[in-house]
Amino acid sequence: MDLGPFESDNSVSCRLASQIPDICRTEDCCLGIDEAGRGPVLGPMVYGICFCPVSKKEELKNLKVADSKTLTEAERENLFEKLDEARSYVGWALQILSPNTISTSMLQRTKYNLNALSHDTAIGLVQYALDSGVQLKEVFVDTVGPADKYEDKLSKLFPGIEVTVRPKADSLFPIVSAASICAKVARDRVVKGWNFAEDLGEVDTDYGSGYPNDPKTKAWLLKYLDPVFGYPQFVRFSWSTAQTLMDSKGVTVHWDDDDVDGEKAAQRQNNKSMLSYFSASAGGKDQNTTHQTHRFFSDRRLKSLDTL
Amino acid sequence: MHNMATKKKRTPNAQHDNWVVVAADSAIETQKHESDPAFVRLRNPSTDAASLYMLSSGDVQLFEVKAFEEDFHSWFVGQTVQRDGRLLFVTPMDPLFLILPYLIKSGREGKFQPVDQLIKDEEFPACSRLLSCTRSLASLHHIAEEKEVELLKFHRYSQEKTMNWLKKKVERTVSALKKRNISVGEGVKSTTYIRVKSESDYHEEDYLRYAHGLISEYISEDLSKALLKHLQLPELTSPKEAEPPSKKRKLSDKPVEAGEDYTKFNSADFARKPPKKMSAAQKSLAKVDKTGMKPMSSFFSPKVKAEKQ
Repeated sequence: MDLGPFESDNSVSCRLASQIPDICRTEDCCLGIDEAGRGPVLGPMVYGICFCPVSKKEELKNLKVADSKTLTEAERENLFEKLDEARSYVGWALQILSPNTISTSMLQRTKYNLNALSHDTAIGLVQYALDSGVQLKEVFVDTVGPADKYEDKLSKLFPGIEVTVRPKADSLFPIVSAASICAKVARDRVVKGWNFAEDLGEVDTDYGSGYPNDPKTKAWLLKYLDPVFGYPQFVRFSWSTAQTLMDSKGVTVHWDDDDVDGEKAAQRQNNKSMLSYFSASAGGKDQNTTHQTHRFFSDRRLKSLDTL
Repeated sequence: MHNMATKKKRTPNAQHDNWVVVAADSAIETQKHESDPAFVRLRNPSTDAASLYMLSSGDVQLFEVKAFEEDFHSWFVGQTVQRDGRLLFVTPMDPLFLILPYLIKSGREGKFQPVDQLIKDEEFPACSRLLSCTRSLASLHHIAEEKEVELLKFHRYSQEKTMNWLKKKVERTVSALKKRNISVGEGVKSTTYIRVKSESDYHEEDYLRYAHGLISEYISEDLSKALLKHLQLPELTSPKEAEPPSKKRKLSDKPVEAGEDYTKFNSADFARKPPKKMSAAQKSLAKVDKTGMKPMSSFFSPKVKAEKQ
């Protein structure tokens, strides 16, 4: 697994893929989807697909790929090795969503939540397999959100493919287990060797699991909090763990979509409340006291100053 | 930078130690003269209150200071952050605009006076420095009559000259507006909005009125009104009296319904329906003093009085 393409720019989303086995272009195939790194406040979320001919399901089972969570890191590496050796009939592809991608998606003006991001990434990978000529007949997915809704969505998008969405699919279907191993291995490697884009000098890499409840992760987050910029791009800014720390220790930053409730936002922008137009006195007074700046200036947000 | 969750207070702006300024080279040039360019507070001719101006080195040139200011802006300057996202523009300005109010004031006495006696202001002592500007003395004749007695010059305010001078300013502004494709139509409320009319559709009057408005930012309200007359522009009565043409209406105002419908008020639904809860906004609207307000419907009625019934 060559992580080079992602590591050259770890601020974006990146796809890595194995060669497509020839047999997958001619025989009916099954495909499993799973993800790694959904919960941590640090590092990327990795989506993985694994596919093989339906006829090779038994062989895959014999590789003893199991749910990645039940395995140690060494065992996972070992299994990935085995999958790699089976490259004549097993193919895989990964989508690495950088923490920066996750932050900017979830925090942008039109919020793009983690579930939508997950769904779209999974769909993109299935489409990638189809575009590569893989003869997909069955797709197995570990669910994100309600299983039946997700299944419905995928079935409609990919007519002719039998879609099965199940919670814990990674322990039920070997092809999903295989996908989860690919995803987890990639994430482990990326997190371990994270290239910090920021100039932080010698970075303390003892950040623990990256999960919010890990004391090591918390300590690391406290240590690397910059009052102005917050965190390196390694951190998911959209996680409440990160936000809470920035709120309490960082400089306050205001964005123009901060206040959703209109009345306050309007006041701040010096807009008049709709109500003011209905009160008898306000209208007349206003005109006399304040000098109405010509629209040439008000349109351009230009005003005179009386002091610096 | 980071996004913040819900409750936060804005700390009051600390004093500004740095400014981000756009200025002409001539504004900050210091070589020829001893004094540095400086920000000065002078009487704004339009508001009669203090405004910030800049005098170049040696007081030879006057500049006005305008600030671009919008919420939620900050600067990154080198390795520092500046919390105000303000951008100051220091642009050349004709000092006559600032001198004019002083001339008008002393002009009421009708006497010719030496100009340095005219330009005096206890509140803004810096105003005398306006006379050092190269343009000031050279162009005083645009707004005042001059008399020379031996080597001394005396001035007296002239409304007629001033009107002609201001008219020229308006005309020059009009050509600048045209040259820069600035939208002047009444319908255009913002430069970023899509224009409904193409620029060629605007009448000369739109330009004149717009330019008059711009020049009025630099003169008193009285002068502004006088200038409007001088330009032969009618005063606008706002809002326009003309009502929008009403759509075809039915002959009767009553809602269309069956003449005799006894089921309506007997229905169980009707009786049991609880009064609707009002939203907070509706409640506060309900409290508003409505005296002197026209009902909304009046704005939609046809010009011909509604038929009597």
